[in-house]
Amino acid sequence: MTEKIRIIVDKDKCYLCGGCAGVCPSLAIRVSSSKWEFFQDKCISCRICVTACPVGALEAEVVEGRA
Amino acid sequence: MSEIMKYDVVVVGAGIAGPIVARNVAKEGYSVLLIDKKPAIGAPKQCAEGINISVFEKHDIPYDKRFINREIYGARLYSPSGYTLEMRYNRVSGVILERKVFDKMLAFYAARAGADVLPRTEATDVIRKDGKIIGIKAKKEGEPIEIRADILVAADGVESTIARKAGINTYAPLHEFDSAYEYEMLIEGFDPDLIHLWFGNNVAPRGYVWVFPKDEDRANVGIGINSDNPMTAKHYLDKWLKENNIPFKKILEVNVGIVPVGGFLRELVKDNVLVVGDAARQVNPMHGGGMAEAMEAGTIASKWILEALKEENFELLKNYTTEWWEKDGKRLERVLRVRKVVEHLTDEDLDVFIQTLSGIDAEKIAGGHYSEVIKALLKQPKVLMSPRRITLLKELL
Repeated sequence: MTEKIRIIVDKDKCYLCGGCAGVCPSLAIRVSSSKWEFFQDKCISCRICVTACPVGALEAEVVEGRA
Repeated sequence: MSEIMKYDVVVVGAGIAGPIVARNVAKEGYSVLLIDKKPAIGAPKQCAEGINISVFEKHDIPYDKRFINREIYGARLYSPSGYTLEMRYNRVSGVILERKVFDKMLAFYAARAGADVLPRTEATDVIRKDGKIIGIKAKKEGEPIEIRADILVAADGVESTIARKAGINTYAPLHEFDSAYEYEMLIEGFDPDLIHLWFGNNVAPRGYVWVFPKDEDRANVGIGINSDNPMTAKHYLDKWLKENNIPFKKILEVNVGIVPVGGFLRELVKDNVLVVGDAARQVNPMHGGGMAEAMEAGTIASKWILEALKEENFELLKNYTTEWWEKDGKRLERVLRVRKVVEHLTDEDLDVFIQTLSGIDAEKIAGGHYSEVIKALLKQPKVLMSPRRITLLKELL
């Protein structure tokens, strides 16, 4: 079974720059001018957004499966 | 039932490319709506704000002191061990803008030309009817609206949401992006007539640290690194400032963003949807600047939008893809090849190259006579003794 994750944002660190939405291959993140949103059903658990964030505001939490 | 608005063209995103398209199309009498999700166009910036002086005339933008912080006369490059390469001209070569004012003024020129402009209006999806895209769904100050338009322009930045919802594949691997972090802050000790760039694998992996002066003692001080780097851009910038004993306690802004540095779209048009600017990954992959590229793309896109509207033939829109690839795409592909070579340079390579180049006529380098520059490098003993360096440089020729 492959590991499934969800992405959590630290709102105090996030600048709503939209970069994570830009690098996400599956449109699982939407950043409006006032909020950051994650769509679990679209996430492919690649963690690209976590690596790319310029300030380290994103974290992955395992929701099912194991590494 | 949400409010329905109707336009010939709707442009999503009021950065650089969007307002240029909106202005050029509205000027010819067509109805245009330019929207942006931000409440204040131009803020927050995701930019070091440097731009070549030539763009003002080329794209018919007034040289207005209200958005020009400082005129710049060249650049100084620093290698990891401290060798420097200075390119200084006796004329203004570029300016450091105030994007907050600049973007707003570009939207103002669009509005003055006849376009409607709505900030705090966010496109959420495209509207399809019988398999055809007939407009977008948006939220205007939270209220749902529908914007019907014959032509859609996706100028919504790195997120590229509208292009993707329209079925245009804007995916690029993470390695084709840079993560950037910047302070606008007080800083002293750097010639404020030049931009300053520091290179090194421990300084800024794949990218560089920049100081772009906005005043004698105020600058954008930032960094770009490969987005697939395990450390953050912030980590590297703070480390560099500390190691160089540069105080950073007089900070006026913190700016954050991700920059496409490759992955140009093969197809910039699908049916009646066009992609421009960062959304189309139209950025110089070597230095990460995208304003001039966005202006160029916006100019070409608007030309074909006007043709398509005049001739009532949307097939003509595809000429935007063709013309962009001919005019700017080919050039950027060459720059991308350089980036892919340069990102493999070791710190010692960077020292050798910058040290050697400092002895070459700077005009040749800045004038784009790259083959002469590379030939000069190939004569350097430290290059001649290294087959790897020779191979790297020959790839560039």
